[in-house]
Amino acid sequence: MSDTTELARKDEATSETASETAVTRRDDERAQSRVTLTPPVDVSEDSQGITLWADLPGVTKERLSVKVHDGNLYIEAEAMVPTPAGLRLQHAEIREPRFARAFSLGADFDTSKIDANLKDGVLKLTIPRHDEARPRRIEVRTN
Amino acid sequence: MSDLFSSAGLAGDIERLQRQVASLFDGFPTSIRAAGSGTFPRINIGSTDESIEIVAFAPGVDPAKLDVSIDKRLLTISGEREFPQREAAGDDMRTYAQERFAGRFRRAIELPQHADPDKASARYADGCLVVSVAKRESSKPRAITVQ
Repeated sequence: MSDTTELARKDEATSETASETAVTRRDDERAQSRVTLTPPVDVSEDSQGITLWADLPGVTKERLSVKVHDGNLYIEAEAMVPTPAGLRLQHAEIREPRFARAFSLGADFDTSKIDANLKDGVLKLTIPRHDEARPRRIEVRTN
Repeated sequence: MSDLFSSAGLAGDIERLQRQVASLFDGFPTSIRAAGSGTFPRINIGSTDESIEIVAFAPGVDPAKLDVSIDKRLLTISGEREFPQREAAGDDMRTYAQERFAGRFRRAIELPQHADPDKASARYADGCLVVSVAKRESSKPRAITVQ
């Protein structure tokens, strides 16, 4: 299975050039604590709750984990790009195929009803508010 | 002075300069059209003995709006990614973060001399566009028999 990850893996062969040493060293320091990419997100809210979109290219449902723990939302994923055997990486703008990002959720969200949908490498999360936390218009009666 | 390892004169100097410039990049020749690696989509390039594989990380793009073309040796990937909020734009929608790229994009990659533009294929899956361009027969590695 190692062939499939080659296009997104760190390229040791080209890290020797002088211009890259600074970048490479920083990468190595971070490598101690499992280097991950921070996926860009869009976040919007309406009266129903929050909707979040996250870019996770090359991620399939099997390699995506969305967890809620202690009021925090954790998104973790790993990209897999199928490539032919014997591939040598020559130019890489994405070097680490792992994504991770966390958010804290307020108490007004119903974390048991989070809906997650993954399509074409974009995760769409809808996080509804508790019914009692939704804004309500209060009817004013006149006698 | 000319010897077995370095050519003399202006031609040699230019050649040396070109080598130094090339070594600043990742090993693959970077053309002036391929500037701006922070843009969308991010691209990885690799090669096997048979082909050159280009992966564009372009999640959430409608394949119908994705255009891949090769003009001589210049591979161009262009298209458009729409704002997701527009599909459900209610009056009370508030946006807190807008980090994802939206709008039209274009990336160009200069293919090496030994690429065969007539034998290219592209597929889009899980938000990744993989373009595979075959190498010419003459550039494939072959063993030379020692007599």
